[in-house]
Amino acid sequence: MNPKSTSHFTATLVALVCLLATLLVVPTAYAQDTEIRGFIENATFFREHGVGLTKSRTTLQLELSRAWQPSGLFSEVSINGTFRGSYDAVYDLNDDEFGENSGRSVCYPAPGNPAFFGILATGNPNTPPFPPSTNPCFAGIFPPPIATGAIPLPGVPGGNIGSGNPNQGLGLVGEDVHQFENGGVVLAYPTRPCSIDSRGCIDGYMDDSLNDLRYAEFNSRFDFIRELYLDATIAYDNGHELGFRIGRQQVVWGRTDLFRVLDVINPVDFSRHNIFDELEDIRIPMGILNVEWRAGASGPFEDINFQGIWKFEDFRPNNLGQGGEPYAILGAGNFFRAMNNCWENGCTVWNFPDSGLAVDFPAHSLGIRQANKPDFNDSQDYGFRVEGVMSGIGFSFNVLRYTSQMPSLRGGIESDNPFTPNIESQFHPYSLTFDIDFPRLTLVGASADFYVESLKSAFRVEVAHTSGEEFPNTLRERLFSESDVVRWVIGIDRPTFIPFLNKNRAFLLSLQVFGQHLLDHELQRVNAQGVPTLSEVGMVDWKNNYITTFLFQGNYMNDRLTPQILTAYDFKAGSGVVSPSVDWKISNSWRLTAAINLKFGDGAQVFDDNRGANPFPPFTCAPPLAAAGSPLCGAPFSSLGLAGFEPIGRFRAGPFGMGINEDEYQLTLRYRF
Amino acid sequence: MKQGTLKILIICMVGLSQTVAADSFTDEDINQSFYPYNDWTPAADGYTPGVVIDQNNVDQFQSILDEALLRFVKDGWVSIRTAPTTDFPLTEDYVNATRQHAGEVSIADNGTLNNFVAGRAFPQEPQADDPLAGQKLVWNYQYGFNSGDSETIYPFWWTFRNVKTAKVERQLKFEWHFLNHNHRVTFDPKPAYVNNPGEIYRGIYGIVKEPFDLANTQILIHRYQDDTRRDNAWLYVGFQRRVRRLAAGQITDAFLGSDLMIEDFEGYNGRVTDYTWEYAGTRNLLMPFYYHNDMELADVPAQDADGYQFIDVEGQGNCFPKVTYQLRKSFTLVGKPKDPNHPIGKRVINLDAQTMTMASLVTYDRKGDMWKWFPIGKAHSDHHLAVNKGKGVALDDYAVVIDIQAEHCTTLQFKSQVTDDANQPKLFSVQNLRKSGR
Repeated sequence: MNPKSTSHFTATLVALVCLLATLLVVPTAYAQDTEIRGFIENATFFREHGVGLTKSRTTLQLELSRAWQPSGLFSEVSINGTFRGSYDAVYDLNDDEFGENSGRSVCYPAPGNPAFFGILATGNPNTPPFPPSTNPCFAGIFPPPIATGAIPLPGVPGGNIGSGNPNQGLGLVGEDVHQFENGGVVLAYPTRPCSIDSRGCIDGYMDDSLNDLRYAEFNSRFDFIRELYLDATIAYDNGHELGFRIGRQQVVWGRTDLFRVLDVINPVDFSRHNIFDELEDIRIPMGILNVEWRAGASGPFEDINFQGIWKFEDFRPNNLGQGGEPYAILGAGNFFRAMNNCWENGCTVWNFPDSGLAVDFPAHSLGIRQANKPDFNDSQDYGFRVEGVMSGIGFSFNVLRYTSQMPSLRGGIESDNPFTPNIESQFHPYSLTFDIDFPRLTLVGASADFYVESLKSAFRVEVAHTSGEEFPNTLRERLFSESDVVRWVIGIDRPTFIPFLNKNRAFLLSLQVFGQHLLDHELQRVNAQGVPTLSEVGMVDWKNNYITTFLFQGNYMNDRLTPQILTAYDFKAGSGVVSPSVDWKISNSWRLTAAINLKFGDGAQVFDDNRGANPFPPFTCAPPLAAAGSPLCGAPFSSLGLAGFEPIGRFRAGPFGMGINEDEYQLTLRYRF
Repeated sequence: MKQGTLKILIICMVGLSQTVAADSFTDEDINQSFYPYNDWTPAADGYTPGVVIDQNNVDQFQSILDEALLRFVKDGWVSIRTAPTTDFPLTEDYVNATRQHAGEVSIADNGTLNNFVAGRAFPQEPQADDPLAGQKLVWNYQYGFNSGDSETIYPFWWTFRNVKTAKVERQLKFEWHFLNHNHRVTFDPKPAYVNNPGEIYRGIYGIVKEPFDLANTQILIHRYQDDTRRDNAWLYVGFQRRVRRLAAGQITDAFLGSDLMIEDFEGYNGRVTDYTWEYAGTRNLLMPFYYHNDMELADVPAQDADGYQFIDVEGQGNCFPKVTYQLRKSFTLVGKPKDPNHPIGKRVINLDAQTMTMASLVTYDRKGDMWKWFPIGKAHSDHHLAVNKGKGVALDDYAVVIDIQAEHCTTLQFKSQVTDDANQPKLFSVQNLRKSGR
């Protein structure tokens, strides 16, 4: 938690506690209607490719609501709460993979180093090329660097990575997706929970302890109070209503499944199960004041309503899963942790500056320094929506000013030149040194739904224009740039009888197409200084991309047996997922769900990795330019397009491509009461 | 005469010829339609009220049992207790509305009504030689007084049962609300809500209370004044936290896994113009009309605030209502869907002549095999909850859909309340789904 926001969070917490006390303590006699229900669930997931157990989570969830008899100003008053606690035994049962014993020592086969680095390391122009390594392993627990093959840059104290970054408890970023067969850069990341190994843990952002991971809801944000809000309505004689909902809650905009075009008010916890859980379970409820003016039938509208929201709980980003977790969407958590470890402790990078080489970078010359979570005053979200029905068509217009829940890697922070022993702490254009920031965004959007009789189908449409979003961009000195973005979804639901499969019950066929367009996209074949590049350089995200989903769902045994197949495909990434499942409602209380989650397609994607940039002239000037005595070597220039899977090819591969080896078998048993 | 004027005249004449003129009616028609039992009691050979009809004596009562019930009694699935025929008068408001407006009503060329305001559209006795008799009867049902102007059903339990084993497989607990925006006769505003830009005729709103996996699921259906216009329907899905537009045209789908289609609600819940309708005669049939408070009731729901108890279940699979049946005048109406892909071949509906409610319904599949039986037990509103006293509504009180082919049934147990307390238009809005959703 950001210390600056502690007092505000405390106020929010006090309000939640007061609501909880009211919910639990006020005598039932005053209540008109009290409901208590809940469930206990165990979800056990098993992953192929030698990983084994990825989830063994047991959850207890309670839902309470209490409504009061209307009196005075208000016509309706109620308090509603959802409380959730869980224990994920995967960190104990499969601790070799995800817990305190996870990770290993990692090795980089470095065949030898060119004379340039020998000279650089020794300062002696007559230094011969380094010989091939006999025991090339990462980080500073091995013999002197010349014998190991890792190149010690002059900025590395003592010539190699120190004992603060031991070669243990490590994994290689992206090794779960590819085998580095394209010669791209390789980074190691610490895999163990932050209470076991604090390397690479980013304060206030990705720093979960073993217990934070085991007991996800029992943390400093009191996430076991999943939702707790007060509902109140003032009714007017003309039928209009003024409604208030205040407290920790989910506010859902939009009309589509899986995609979040307008549904961006609450951040999302992708660490539960990537994008595959119901959003209802993975939205992170926030303290929000939600005010609605419900005008009902007015003028030409069958229904017209106005909504204003103000998020008063301190900012929370999406939970992407930290390095070493079973579910880290896009592998971003692993990458961030590796980069923060590099910043804090220095690190060895393989296939850098070219394939077959390994370089020891000193601390503060490469990596991610910190996450700058905005203070309350800088991160308040507020929005407005007009929503209604006219001529049978449901519609909404939405405006939201909010803080991005996705991180932006902003380069150009003050850093050191690894090729000099000095501590410069200055801006180096094109250097791979970042802070994680969360920019302010403005979203303007709309949605509609309607039924088309001739097609017997219901249509759902959403579109949103967002300004202020930031994307990696190797053409820019700070390695990012802004782009306005248009996103849209069209969904079609068609219940369809397929008599030979079931003559009494229609199957739901639900197709969605999602589009994303970066309006200020930059991608080219010359670098920022006009030098032709080896591959495309600029923004890794696609200018135009499309993802489609298709759901085929049936029901048997009076809806007690529900088989379905969910598929999704990312066209540009060339990867997708198919997930058949069967949901069996054994009784009113017991429910068993079995599912398989299979990915297919191209998997990892390649993109410019910025090795070809010249952030520290003249040391990082491309050898051909240096050999030719190019004047370009004297000044920073942007990437010349050496490319690999890592580190940012992941943004092209997308969640399906990066999960290509995350095929899983899943079993969930739930008891409701 | 100018050519344009002639064209208009021809169009007007053709139009008039395609519209069936309104039928006149007499006081005798009104009395016969609304008070058939004032000076007449239905009778059948060998039938005496109070007799119990079972496997042993059913053959002599074949003519007063609908085709499905006859089969069930013959198979020993149920015995029928009988009681004397009693009057189930509808409210005088509805009768007066009929007197006031029925004379203006006619059937348009497209099968919809002209000039309908309120009350029973066609109070005249149906005639076998009237090709529109079936349509007139179904319009009488469509704009009948089945739930009054406004009704709440809560609690409302739907229980999925295995007919062979009587095993309860699943139980859904609902709260349902019905509101007529137009054609109102008892509750203000009459005859219609003025502020109705959507031209909605009827709103139906339901929310699932249990089981947990469906709790907070809400459904909203808007039926429009224009019967040719397709309903709009929305579902609030609790686990998605949002309102989802339904493909309202697919009303032949099993609703939430029950044995009912959406099209089955209240007997028939589709557009009149989706079917062809044929009047197939008048019969005296045993139908589940009774005084709720005089029945041997179930012990549920427990701890009801009004001390209300549901009609109990009995018979094969516990699918049948534990009530008395009475011999009543009924009109048999045969509806056949126009859509060749419709799963139903025909509906044989027995309309209670006095209340114009669908008291029993037998559906056949496209092969012509008997598929489902759907009787709706009707309780006299003066012998029910206090709130219903004097409301003049034949209350929905118990229903069952027995899927004969699948040997499965869904029983529906009602606590019906004819009231406008909660049933204001805002309850029947999409926004209310969001407001009530959790």
